[in-house]
Amino acid sequence: MIDLIINGLSVSVEEGATLLEAARFLGFPIPTLCYMDGLSPYGACRLCVVEIGEGPRAKLVTACTYPAEEGLKVRTASSRVIKARKMILELHLASCPQSKTIQDLAAAHGVRQQRFRQEYEDCILCGLCVRMCEEQMMAKAIGFRGRGQNRSIGTPFDIQSDVCRLCGGCMYICPACQLRCTYTEPEKAVCGGCENLSPPCLEKEQFDDMMCFMDPCVACEIAKD
Amino acid sequence: MKRRRSIEDFEALQSRIMTDHDDAVPTIVIPAGTCCQASGANDLIRVAKRELLDKKLTDTVRLRITGCQGFCQMEPSVLVEPRGTFYPKVGMKTMARIVESVARDEILADELFITPDTGEQIERQEDIPFFRNQVRTILSRNEKIDPLFVYDYIINQGYSTLAKVFKMADPDWVINEVKVAGLRGRGGAGFPTGLKWEFLANQANGHGKFLVCNADEGDPGAYMDRSVIEGNPHGVIEGMIIGAYATGSTGGVIYVRNEYPLAIKHLIIALRQAREVGLLGENILGTGFSFDINLVKGAGAFVCGEETALIRSIEGKMGEPRQRPPFPVQKGIEGKPTAINNVETWANIPIIIEKGAHEFAKIGTENNSGTKIFSLVGKAKYTGLVEVPMGTTIKRIVYEIGGGPIDNARIKAVQTGGPSGGCIPAELFDIPVDYDSLSKAGSIMGSGGMIVMDDNTCMVDIAKYFMNFLKDESCGKCFTCRKGTQRMYEILDDISQGHGTLEQLQLLEELAHVVKDTTMCGLGQTASNPVLSTLRYFREEYLEHILEKHCSAVVCSGLYKAPCQHACPVEMDIPSYVALIRAGRLDDAYKVLIKTNPFPSVCGRVCDKKCEYKCSRAMLDGPVHIKYLKRFVTDNATRPMVEKVPVTRKEKIAVIGAGPSGMTAARDLALKGFHVTVFEAFEEAGGMLRWGIPDYRLPREILNVEIRDILAQGVELRCETKVGEDVSWDQIKEEFDAIYMAIGASSNMRLGVEGEDLKGVSGAIQFLRDVNLGQKLQVGKHVAVIGGGNSAIDAARSAVRLGAEKVSILYRRTRPEMPAQEEEILAAEEEGVKIQCLVSPIRFQGKNGHVQKIICQKMALGDFDASGRRKPVPSLGNYLTSDAHEVIVAIGQQLALPFPAQSRDVKVSKKGFIEIRAKARTRVSEELIFAGGDAVRGPDTVIGAIAAGRWAAKEIDAAIRKRNQEPAYMEMPGEEIEIPRVIDEQIREKSRASMHQTPVAERIKDFREVEMGFSQEVAMEEACRCLRCDISNEET
Repeated sequence: MIDLIINGLSVSVEEGATLLEAARFLGFPIPTLCYMDGLSPYGACRLCVVEIGEGPRAKLVTACTYPAEEGLKVRTASSRVIKARKMILELHLASCPQSKTIQDLAAAHGVRQQRFRQEYEDCILCGLCVRMCEEQMMAKAIGFRGRGQNRSIGTPFDIQSDVCRLCGGCMYICPACQLRCTYTEPEKAVCGGCENLSPPCLEKEQFDDMMCFMDPCVACEIAKD
Repeated sequence: MKRRRSIEDFEALQSRIMTDHDDAVPTIVIPAGTCCQASGANDLIRVAKRELLDKKLTDTVRLRITGCQGFCQMEPSVLVEPRGTFYPKVGMKTMARIVESVARDEILADELFITPDTGEQIERQEDIPFFRNQVRTILSRNEKIDPLFVYDYIINQGYSTLAKVFKMADPDWVINEVKVAGLRGRGGAGFPTGLKWEFLANQANGHGKFLVCNADEGDPGAYMDRSVIEGNPHGVIEGMIIGAYATGSTGGVIYVRNEYPLAIKHLIIALRQAREVGLLGENILGTGFSFDINLVKGAGAFVCGEETALIRSIEGKMGEPRQRPPFPVQKGIEGKPTAINNVETWANIPIIIEKGAHEFAKIGTENNSGTKIFSLVGKAKYTGLVEVPMGTTIKRIVYEIGGGPIDNARIKAVQTGGPSGGCIPAELFDIPVDYDSLSKAGSIMGSGGMIVMDDNTCMVDIAKYFMNFLKDESCGKCFTCRKGTQRMYEILDDISQGHGTLEQLQLLEELAHVVKDTTMCGLGQTASNPVLSTLRYFREEYLEHILEKHCSAVVCSGLYKAPCQHACPVEMDIPSYVALIRAGRLDDAYKVLIKTNPFPSVCGRVCDKKCEYKCSRAMLDGPVHIKYLKRFVTDNATRPMVEKVPVTRKEKIAVIGAGPSGMTAARDLALKGFHVTVFEAFEEAGGMLRWGIPDYRLPREILNVEIRDILAQGVELRCETKVGEDVSWDQIKEEFDAIYMAIGASSNMRLGVEGEDLKGVSGAIQFLRDVNLGQKLQVGKHVAVIGGGNSAIDAARSAVRLGAEKVSILYRRTRPEMPAQEEEILAAEEEGVKIQCLVSPIRFQGKNGHVQKIICQKMALGDFDASGRRKPVPSLGNYLTSDAHEVIVAIGQQLALPFPAQSRDVKVSKKGFIEIRAKARTRVSEELIFAGGDAVRGPDTVIGAIAAGRWAAKEIDAAIRKRNQEPAYMEMPGEEIEIPRVIDEQIREKSRASMHQTPVAERIKDFREVEMGFSQEVAMEEACRCLRCDISNEET
């Protein structure tokens, strides 16, 4: 067992546990977007940052990847952490406002404004789908491409992968809720992530067969233009 | 080559080739790194080879092709050994002559390096300031070695330290040496190399360990690693073998970016040769130690320089970092312990072993030992690779090695550490360059890029440039780095386009801190540095872009129509009137002129033409003669008619001082419908234009016309009314709603030396006023003018015209630093004025109360001050005595408040001028009192005064309207002048026209105007040279 201090409480956790696992096990909430039990931690969304260390050497690390260390002092909700988290959520909100997951997180953390130029992206590149495909579905059908602002998720050369079994695992796990909706080919749609919203798509004729309930479904709106 | 199987065997080889080698044979060294080849080194090599063969010199003269030596500005260069003669910028013909001269053991005196300041010729490379001020422990090896021949390296003691290490047979000793030497990673973070090696050596050695040489050098403007590999690949290889021996590593990797083909070529050859000699591979030199190095070519992603991304790239995966811990030293390539060091770090290892750790630790400062190579680029006179001991000040690097700024620009910052680094302002150039000081100043050492920036660089633009680079080069894995850099770029772009707001600036800062805090790898954690450091030191530039939509460096093209117009303090519509001249519509051109500037014919003669310094044509074949074109219009077109503007407002405004600033404000206010009264102490309006500038530069009648027109628009002028004497300050405050103080700086600064009150010693203002009034009709035989500004030149040239036999200007700095306009100085010299630099008067000697002699202290150039100029310091014991029957002191002017300074109304700043309220340009106090021109900024240019007048008019109007709760002033749409939009399809090269001047013999006789103006033909040609930046910016 490893002894460490989380938010001033001395706790012990099993060796090999990450800070996120330790904190959650002990009941300290840490928000995440790109983390999922059963998938390897990736550290992409940066939402789970916690502050470790003291004085000038204090720094923020991602709880999902940082292993619990003997004697470590961890603060999961220091003002520095809160400030960073709010800004990260604001950035997410600015890029992908239609995601229910992001909206809920933003609301829960008191993010009341979004000061950047509004974008509507359908992917936050959290990599959950890539890991789902590789680690749980054993398919490795999709992966990351490009870097920086050109980074995207897909198959090589956008050719449907031979190893893809259309299992829908990637769509199931997506927090941005976009891959589920394939508005132009209704029979392929596996929607359901937005059930608690009113369904505007249904009022539109051409989307009769759709099962998308996003409000507004930005992907549809954009594609129509 | 025979593989050597023991250390003795290798040493036998070494001593054999060293005895065969003769140092005294004259050798032509041609550096041919990538940069040298780009500037033509390959041609030189061809010529040299042909000449050597033709002249049958192959036995007597040797030729050595080496890597880059660092003085990139002077490439292609040639070095002749053993003399050490350095020839810069060698052409093919010169090359042939050099070969001949070497054969005859001569020097080509006309091709040597010349110091631009003094014109002094320098023969030997080590005497050139650029080289002299460096400590070149790594780079000096480049010129000794042909990188393609391992024997060349062995001759220069190469691999002997490796043999030494093998003989010691104690890996711990090596690690300890490196630790004691205090070598820190040269890649940028500065982690102690010995410590890293110790971690690696302590890792279990079950499955092998790796050493990596990180040669993924991607910073814009940095190329020291490339030059080290190209010039001395064996040095890096030797360092790695030593490192491998010390840490028990089994495999080595050199990760080079594929953009470095020459480095890759040299490395492949060097690795092969090292293997052939038996220095790599199984059982090296019979020691039982095996180690080999592989070359991995990177695809050129910036992020692959980050160690975890580099490891993934070596493994063949996508180059993106992973969260640490575990650190590479625990789990690196394929999960095996790996130590990664930069090229320069590896190149330092043989040097440490050779010199000994303690000796090495003596170089540089404590905790920062050894030398560091910087690539000094940007706006410095000499650019190239510079190797200095750690702890050298930036000042020394930039000014002494780099030679300071180009032309008359002022260096304002250096950017260190590439995109991850920050900017360090000129005020902090005294800080030593080491890891800790730089990070304290908000920058980083980085791999050693050092970009010099002068006042033609916009800091917002720099931040934007780096952010653009980073947003493309961020791997995109972690959200805050990917989106953070994109969003920071977005905001910076907005600001540079003039759409920025203060809220955005705050958001930018907030975001930058969060990005720094929350990203995964080094790239993201330092990505904010360009923004944070420019915000820290150059926030006023951001504010200028946001609040005033102005970019004083004239770089952010989104803010302006044309650079010349943006550079002009009153934003005169230069492209338009130049186009109108071209179209032959001179009358329309005059209307355009008068719109923004009530003194166009004055400015056409005496403006300091800030516009021409920013003219785009300057990059081609010299700037357009904007000033003379303006004069051409005013000389040849009909002056637009003016009429009295009806007074429509009840407020009355007083302007104190009828100089250019006061008259401009008066006109602008009159045009807005105010009743304006101008108070002038002297008998006529014009201020310094009339009393300070002599007739030969600005004829009186020209000035009179412009003043007449201003008065004709309804401005009331009360001459010979001195405020404080003829009319009291309180009375003016009582009578008028607003006051604009354009009182100038009309009192002379005194030298404060003995004998200044002697007869014949006067201030320049008084002297010029007397001359212009026609009261001064003769001067002494020998006239000495003290100072280097425009008034000094004016006084000197006037003295020539008044019949002085000898006129000299005494200036305490050097000629290039004289603040006067260059063409004025030249004209003065033509007229026989002697300019004596680096002298400072300390005493005036008189006879019968009249000055006879000046005794000057000779000055020498001392250290660089914050402005980047060498401070003149007294050269002790060196004096100069000269005859002077008349002395004119022109060292500056001071404010002369015409009434007792009333702290209640007007505050005087530390510098002795009127202080302006925060967030205002001309407003002085809560009451409607405004000030501008020389009274606020000290002696300034005419156009500066006019601009102040215009701002004052705007602010007075706005303040009155605000007080009355009226809507803001809307300018009445004036006459629409259609501007021709003709541009040349093709630009033909054509240098700028020259102004016709009266011959010297003629012009020194009287005060007639010297410059004759452009003829129709010349003006037309000159106007056609305009590139019409306004069109390209708007319409393409």
